[in-house]
Amino acid sequence: MDFLISVEGLRQEYDGRQVLNIEKLELIEGEILAVVGPNGSGKSTLLRLINLLEKPTHGDIVYWSGKRLSEIDRNERRELARQMAMIFQEPLLFKRSVRANVTYGLKVRKTGKDEREKMVEDILAKLNLTELADRNALTLSGGEAQKVTLGRAMVLQPRLLLMDEPLASLDVPSRKDLRGYISDLVREMGVTAIYVSHDYHEVLEIADRLAVLIGGNLLQVGKPSEVFGRPASEEVASFFGAENLLEGEVVKCREGMARLRVKDVELEALCELPIGSRVKALIHPEEVALLSDPGDAGSARNRLRARVKEVHVIGALAKVTLDCGFPLVAYITRASREEMRIDAGLEVTAVIKATAIHVMPYVGRPEASG
Amino acid sequence: MGEIWQGFVEALRLIVTFNPYVMKIALFTLYVCAIATFFGMLMGIPLGSVLALYRFRGRKFLVTLVNAGMGLPPVVVGLFVYLFLKRRGPLGFLGWLYTPKAIVIAEIVLAMPLIAGITMAALQNENPKIRLQARSLGAGEAGSILTLLRETRISLIAAVIAGFGGIISEVGAAMMVGGNLMLNGEPYTRTLTTATVQEVGMGNSELAIALGIILLGITFLLVWVLTSIQQGSLLSEPVRVAKSLFSRFRKEAA
Repeated sequence: MDFLISVEGLRQEYDGRQVLNIEKLELIEGEILAVVGPNGSGKSTLLRLINLLEKPTHGDIVYWSGKRLSEIDRNERRELARQMAMIFQEPLLFKRSVRANVTYGLKVRKTGKDEREKMVEDILAKLNLTELADRNALTLSGGEAQKVTLGRAMVLQPRLLLMDEPLASLDVPSRKDLRGYISDLVREMGVTAIYVSHDYHEVLEIADRLAVLIGGNLLQVGKPSEVFGRPASEEVASFFGAENLLEGEVVKCREGMARLRVKDVELEALCELPIGSRVKALIHPEEVALLSDPGDAGSARNRLRARVKEVHVIGALAKVTLDCGFPLVAYITRASREEMRIDAGLEVTAVIKATAIHVMPYVGRPEASG
Repeated sequence: MGEIWQGFVEALRLIVTFNPYVMKIALFTLYVCAIATFFGMLMGIPLGSVLALYRFRGRKFLVTLVNAGMGLPPVVVGLFVYLFLKRRGPLGFLGWLYTPKAIVIAEIVLAMPLIAGITMAALQNENPKIRLQARSLGAGEAGSILTLLRETRISLIAAVIAGFGGIISEVGAAMMVGGNLMLNGEPYTRTLTTATVQEVGMGNSELAIALGIILLGITFLLVWVLTSIQQGSLLSEPVRVAKSLFSRFRKEAA
């Protein structure tokens, strides 16, 4: 068994309203699985079910001991629960000192006093909290408080750490700081973790795998680069903020290479769908190159004449909106923009590799023509 | 004015000389109120917790009952306890009417809803996720509730203060079920409040003032102690000293 837990046909309903429906999800031992999705997509419910804080309406969870949620008795349930720890969005610290907060779970587990003290001091040192140990936990800043909750969970050396939007209430510097601590501590201690967030940017760096949960349904699971680069559906692509999600039709297809018609423009892309299929094509803006001279396009298969409609400079990048028969967004560096003197009205060539176009079957309602 | 002043002087004399009659009444009042507050807590805190944390059929009715109980007139409580304990009442066989036990029962009935009501409000005001957090750290159902109660300890102490204050100052119920009796020349079911009423009725202003001062003193002292515990100022210094002595002792032993 290489998975730590396996979720099988899990359904949760509140007052007859279904909030979660997962056919299968396996958590591999030692990984950090990030569950991402918009607010209200059932992410926190999934964590609470795994953490045995709620009972599911249907389905089962198989834990590392081989025990099934549907078959365990009260003692086994408590035993399993004690091998897990959960961090919530709010710090939820108790009105006591930092040390007393970190000690809480160990006291519940009746860990011996000497061992307990050693474990607490160790974790406080790892999180640079030793100096704050005697402070009232309620006087800490948001970042410090969430660090204490991380320590309070990790001191238990859990088999499974569950994190429910742990950075959501923090400012940007504190987020970066805590993300570093989470990643380091989880890897160092070899803990398997599920990290829930509505903000996928937050987890791309630390997650081994991403699971996309939208409307209670698990839409895709895979490595972050895979899910982000090649979303399984339009919904997933939209969640990741896809700028160029184009509706088109397969007009030619041979040995995995297809010609797509988007509006009146034809694009070459990798695709196995039959001729006549309606599709959505995703082009990441950073995969679009802009050239003043079309002769420099190299081996790229798609060269589109385009007119620059507008340019927005965002830090070191420039977002260029083009009209090449359909609207297309490209990100180029600010330096390139200045070098090429790209401004509204300029004619350029947009170059896109066939491999940079990700084609998905179209499932939505066709756009109104015109 | 002179009579009042004389009364105060005489009252102070009775207190300073530990007048046995006054002291016995004061101690009896403390004893009855302490037991009633203790049982009021024992029943009120769990009841308040259940009403705050669980949803079940009849909960709304019980909440209404507890809230109504917070404003129960002592005389009515006394009347009902009397009706239950009188010789031909449902609990008459116990023979508790006009004994300290009857006063304790009446005071419990008065204190319990106050403690339950304030506990319930305090727990409902606390973030319910605290309990979830405690459970996610391994605490069981009871453990998570105890953690939540600990988080609301300031309000719980306020509940105890309210319960104690409510019963030490009431006279109607204690009079009705205790009878304000003397037994073999000694106060038997006489509390500070019932004795004050009696002494005023008999024209013994000095004694009444002495009893009143003691009642005020005891109430103030106990509320002060509870408030200090609540605000963390009474025990913090002794605890700090004890902790530092203990850690020094451990270091020396090591």
